[in-house]
Amino acid sequence: MMEWGRVLFQSNLEHALPRGVSDRFYEAARQRRALEEQLAELFRRWGYREFIPPMFEYAETLSTEANQLESEMYRFVDRDGQTLALRPDMTIPTARLAGSKLYDQPFPQRFFYRGSVFRYAEPQAGRQREFTQAGIELIGAAGAAADGESIILALEALRTAGLRHFRLTLGQMAFIHGLLAELELAPPEEQALLDAIDRKSQPNLLAILGELRLTAAQRRAVQTLPTLTGEENVLARAEKIALNKQMRRAVENLAEIEAVLDGYQVKEAVSLDLAEVRGRKYYTGITFECFAEGFGDKIGSGGRYDHLVERFGPARPAVGFALNVDSLLYARRRQDVAPPPTPPRIFAQLSLTESYIQKVAWLRGQGFAVRNACRHYSPEALRQNAAAHGEEGVLLFDEASGQAQLWWHDWPAPRPLTPECLAEVKP
Amino acid sequence: MTSPITIALPKGRLLEESLSLLAEAGFPLPATESRKLVIDSANGSVHYILAKPWDVPVYVEHGAADLGIVGLDVLRERRLDVYEPLLLPVGYCRLVVAGPSSFSSASLRLQSVLRVATKFPNLTTAYFRREGISAEIIGLSGSVELGPLVGLADLIVDLVQTGTTLRENGLVELHTILESQGVLIANRASYRLHKALLHEMIAALNKAVSSKSV
Repeated sequence: MMEWGRVLFQSNLEHALPRGVSDRFYEAARQRRALEEQLAELFRRWGYREFIPPMFEYAETLSTEANQLESEMYRFVDRDGQTLALRPDMTIPTARLAGSKLYDQPFPQRFFYRGSVFRYAEPQAGRQREFTQAGIELIGAAGAAADGESIILALEALRTAGLRHFRLTLGQMAFIHGLLAELELAPPEEQALLDAIDRKSQPNLLAILGELRLTAAQRRAVQTLPTLTGEENVLARAEKIALNKQMRRAVENLAEIEAVLDGYQVKEAVSLDLAEVRGRKYYTGITFECFAEGFGDKIGSGGRYDHLVERFGPARPAVGFALNVDSLLYARRRQDVAPPPTPPRIFAQLSLTESYIQKVAWLRGQGFAVRNACRHYSPEALRQNAAAHGEEGVLLFDEASGQAQLWWHDWPAPRPLTPECLAEVKP
Repeated sequence: MTSPITIALPKGRLLEESLSLLAEAGFPLPATESRKLVIDSANGSVHYILAKPWDVPVYVEHGAADLGIVGLDVLRERRLDVYEPLLLPVGYCRLVVAGPSSFSSASLRLQSVLRVATKFPNLTTAYFRREGISAEIIGLSGSVELGPLVGLADLIVDLVQTGTTLRENGLVELHTILESQGVLIANRASYRLHKALLHEMIAALNKAVSSKSV
């Protein structure tokens, strides 16, 4: 009966969390921060500087007509009646910064970021409403070198995260835009066509083609589009069906990017997919998505968006990507990649003796995490308490003799604290 | 990583047809007598998950299965984010609005309050909204045709194959919302990561499908 009552008392459902957010603590919190820091360090070494945007700003700033995220934004009203919104991504704030504050600074500007973004979406395939993004934006550079840099950096980030099996699929939205401009379809027809292409549904595509009045060349282009994926002669086949200059220019751009990727020897992780139509209202050039073995959804995406910065200042070409850090962590677990090691943890007896305080400080300097006791414990109680907290060792101290002893969890007895005994348990 | 491909199959009326289609396409098949939910094919190259039809797209969307076979009705109702490369010549049925024959001549738009019982609340809501009909949707998980009989609902939206069940309950078909059949679905990430293998399997199935429909 006691147990039953206690369980009820301990779990107070009135303090449950809303859907789509979660607490991160213990190892989950440590691993997420560690990964964020690894990625930040990588981006820094490529010459990117950190941008920490505000968590919320005017909803009007964040919503662009080209932004599909608009319907997913969390909006609320400020005391002065202004509508605010939580940031649904980091790209728009970065574009705002570049356009409205840094317009007279030397370009290109390179920024990286990491932090929570918020989207009101039905939690699907593990997607949360608050999730962590880490990514970069390269603003003020057009062309294949900049496109290639964002792709290479995305691949580097996946490798830095420790993933072994991953893939990046590369598309070109200008190719799609060029094709759609040529077809001149009514909006519902265009939507149906894009849906069929997006869902890789050959039967739907054929059914739609049957209803449209197109020239032979247009029909051939639409029919060929879904086959423009994979590694082999995709670009040559794409070139053949190109109907206008925009489509040909898009193919050229991809060929130039392939040369960049060749230089970095990362081509085997990249496959082309010209039938990728997602995000076409936002992206103007390349688009890419990252996939990792063990995770059923994309873990990151990016692309070129040359018309976003001009909403906030002078027009600037721009390219960037964001990875979902939570998805990366999940995929890493599924691939059995060991997380970065934790510093060994020690529970230390309470004493205010100067020599003891110095010893504890020394232990911390050696890379151990040392938790101070807040009252005096017997050696046995100290060990029990440490075990309950999952700590590997305890530090005992005899105030009379001034001797400190380390007792590791799998040692039969404590040993005097010396560099030698510490070497045995040091990470 | 050369993990075997996992296929989610729906238990129930679609299972037999799906298995025979897979056999025609030359897939290694599971031992069918088994009551286990996860089965390996004879040579271990394919895993099969036997799931409730409604759950098949969930397994595939999350990547717990790389491929799945499911009805269009379920796929459209659940609105999950998967690829659907192939329609399959199995599980033909219609999702229809049905009701007592007194409704057959009346315009539903002129009814001020309509209660509609269904297992497909999303498709039903979308249909009635598109048609400009205000309706209160009552979500049920089965035996929907009882709705009008016991005064729970005015109309139902349900799957029909032959129409026998409707007739037995004194209901008539009023409108067709969706022509449904089996569809092969694929996880978006697997489709990229196991591209060669999945494309080979899809092509084999496609061949079996086209030979069947000739």
